Amino acid sequence: MDILYLLIPLSILVVFGVIALFWWALQGGQFDNIEREGERILRND
Amino acid sequence: MTSTLWAPEHRGPLTVTDDFLVLDDPAEQQAFTRPAEPGETACESVLMVQGMYCAACADTVESALAPLPGVLEARVHAATRRLVLRWDPGATQLSRLARAVGEAGYRLLPMAQALSVDQRLKETRQALWRLFVAGFCMMQVMMYAWPAYVAAPGDIPADIDQLLRWASWVLSLPVVFFASGPFFRSAWSDLKRGRVGMDTPVSIGILVTFLASSAATFDPTGPWGHEVWFDSLTMFVFFLLGGRYLEFKARDRTAGALDALMNRLPETCERELADGRLERVSVRRLAVGDVVLLPAGQAFPGDGVLLSERATVDEALLTGESRPVERTAGESLVAGSFNLGGPVRLRLSGLGQDTRFGQIVRLMEQASTEKPRLALLADRIAAPFLVLVLLAAAMAGLAWWQVEPARALGVAVAVLIVTCPCALSLATPAAMLAAAGRLARGGVLVRRLQAFETLAGIDTVVFDKTGTLTLDRLGLQALVVRPGADRSATLNLAAALAQGSLHPASRAVVSAREADALASGEPLPALVDRTEQAGRGMQARTPDGRTLRLGSAAFALAGTVAQDDGQPPEAPRVWLADDQGWLATLVLSEVLRDDARAAVQALQALGVRCWLLSGDRQAAARQVAGRLGIDRVVAQASPERKLDELGGWQRAGHCIAMVGDGLNDGPVLARADTSFALGHAAPLAQAQSDYVIQSGQLMDVVHTLVLARATLRTVRQNLVWAALYNAVCVPLALVGWMPPWLAGVGMAASSLLVIGNALRLSRP
Repeated sequence: MDILYLLIPLSILVVFGVIALFWWALQGGQFDNIEREGERILRND
Repeated sequence: MTSTLWAPEHRGPLTVTDDFLVLDDPAEQQAFTRPAEPGETACESVLMVQGMYCAACADTVESALAPLPGVLEARVHAATRRLVLRWDPGATQLSRLARAVGEAGYRLLPMAQALSVDQRLKETRQALWRLFVAGFCMMQVMMYAWPAYVAAPGDIPADIDQLLRWASWVLSLPVVFFASGPFFRSAWSDLKRGRVGMDTPVSIGILVTFLASSAATFDPTGPWGHEVWFDSLTMFVFFLLGGRYLEFKARDRTAGALDALMNRLPETCERELADGRLERVSVRRLAVGDVVLLPAGQAFPGDGVLLSERATVDEALLTGESRPVERTAGESLVAGSFNLGGPVRLRLSGLGQDTRFGQIVRLMEQASTEKPRLALLADRIAAPFLVLVLLAAAMAGLAWWQVEPARALGVAVAVLIVTCPCALSLATPAAMLAAAGRLARGGVLVRRLQAFETLAGIDTVVFDKTGTLTLDRLGLQALVVRPGADRSATLNLAAALAQGSLHPASRAVVSAREADALASGEPLPALVDRTEQAGRGMQARTPDGRTLRLGSAAFALAGTVAQDDGQPPEAPRVWLADDQGWLATLVLSEVLRDDARAAVQALQALGVRCWLLSGDRQAAARQVAGRLGIDRVVAQASPERKLDELGGWQRAGHCIAMVGDGLNDGPVLARADTSFALGHAAPLAQAQSDYVIQSGQLMDVVHTLVLARATLRTVRQNLVWAALYNAVCVPLALVGWMPPWLAGVGMAASSLLVIGNALRLSRP
């Protein structure tokens, strides 16, 4: 069970990593208009 | 949009004749344009696209702009109809771009609130960011909490249990100190004003749970007990934020649609310079003391003093009096009223916000953000209820402290969380916003949320006739020709005569010929020596020498007798005659809107009476009513009489929705319990109605009514649910049968249920 002492802190780091990744995506404007990709199917080209 | 209820259509080009040059005025531009990057020449403008009804329209607008020189990037947001345009002021002009979009069939309007749009985007991002942080931390905390729920006592070694608690504590930190920020802020501002708000028990619940759990984590043997509630806490915050986010999105969507109504192309006007020359400037550039010259039909840009000898103005917006008013030199004129007579000179004495018109616009804007009466009622109930909640929680905690101190805190927190009346306060606005958003996407703008409540209760719809039930032109009702004459050849002869004339009857003949498959298949016969006698008719000769006359009976028939056509005697007619006398009678009638009959029938099927209130002649009004199946008609009504009739009906107990379009309908639209203006209606009529039907389709009235009834039904369901939920859960929490995690699930589930129920309205 000692491995939990490594895995649980590691999981916390992973969570913060994912949150940072989302921050980057959000600030890049990827979520500003989420309908847009779905509407691309209506495009002619 | 994939919708079965609405049939969104592409409209024909809107007015491309707009004076787009005003968009180039730097004074105008600063409201919606800014440099894309500091120090760069490129600009970014936020504009509103009018005439957009579906996602494919967004593409049309973008591809109209993309190939133009000077356009760096054009992005259209379909849901909110906003265009974000990056362009190079050195290479092109905004007016040129606007004209290109106009040729594609859409209209670009500057967004007066461009900067607030920017603000809204930031807020959306921030809300999403908080939601995500709370959500992701919640998932992980749940995983750490999972072993404690499933393991038998003693299965988990004490040191591992402690490790899991620490991990949960670390991940709760961002949830409490970052994601819950809005709750704390709003609770704090309520506290400073000495009030108890929705967020007060929420904040106390979050703080108490967090402090107690932290104490239990770091001092398991201390007075706070051994229990931790990090999972309940994070889940509670996540669900609460989720509900707020959904509500925020619904509001954002509705706001986008309302912007379209409030934003109009700024007008220009002619300003007199010191040397007497005239220059055309944007209204925004005018200053108090300027002398301006206004052509007939335009609205006064500001309050002012009349310099011309006399003027005829329409002040219906301000006085409700739609009869033109005479003003003589030296008298004052008010902004927003219309100049009906010839060109008028005036010296400006007030502009913008200082005018009465400015105040009215402000009132309109307030109306659009006002809270519906039901929501206000819910809020009023909520405030004393919240005080009760706090008291109940404190009492429950104290009582349990006497009985079983270890559970006191848990019970108090459960009471706090479970009774949070979020569902109660969300019940009404969520449903109305969802419905308004759906209508906006279908081309109906809702100007007052309050109106849903009234509309659902109406029993009578009163229509205006001209322009509302009928199109503003005549059509061919029947054509009777001389025995032996060919029908389509005769129609072609009449059309050839009528061509080029602007008389409504002539235009009706020409368009009837175009609509007739047989007649329009043949070329128009050539005529020579065509002459028109104003008010009487047209005369011409065929190349083989026959003389043809089209017009009134006296002019065309010249004494010969026409065959009886079997139509009512009051219907308008034109006659066609040749050398042998009468050739044909063309019976005309007003053209009904395509869906007028269907709309009236659908309304009657819904149990709503349909009446007609018209300023037109008795015969014409009766004829239209007869064709549509409307049983009650009041004709030849002046605007004052219309008001009287409406007031009489209202006193008799009828709840009335008025549908109109004209300037003269303004007062009745304002007086009726609720009102619709068609999209082509005069701005003043639009300003005084609760709903604006942009497409001009009468079926939209029916759809709106159906949706309003559904909305009220949903609101009632939501209120009943919120009340039931509290009635059941509060006693459970008080007696300690509801642990805090279950309280959190219950509260969040009831809020989500209410929002979900409301969002059903936004689905077709």
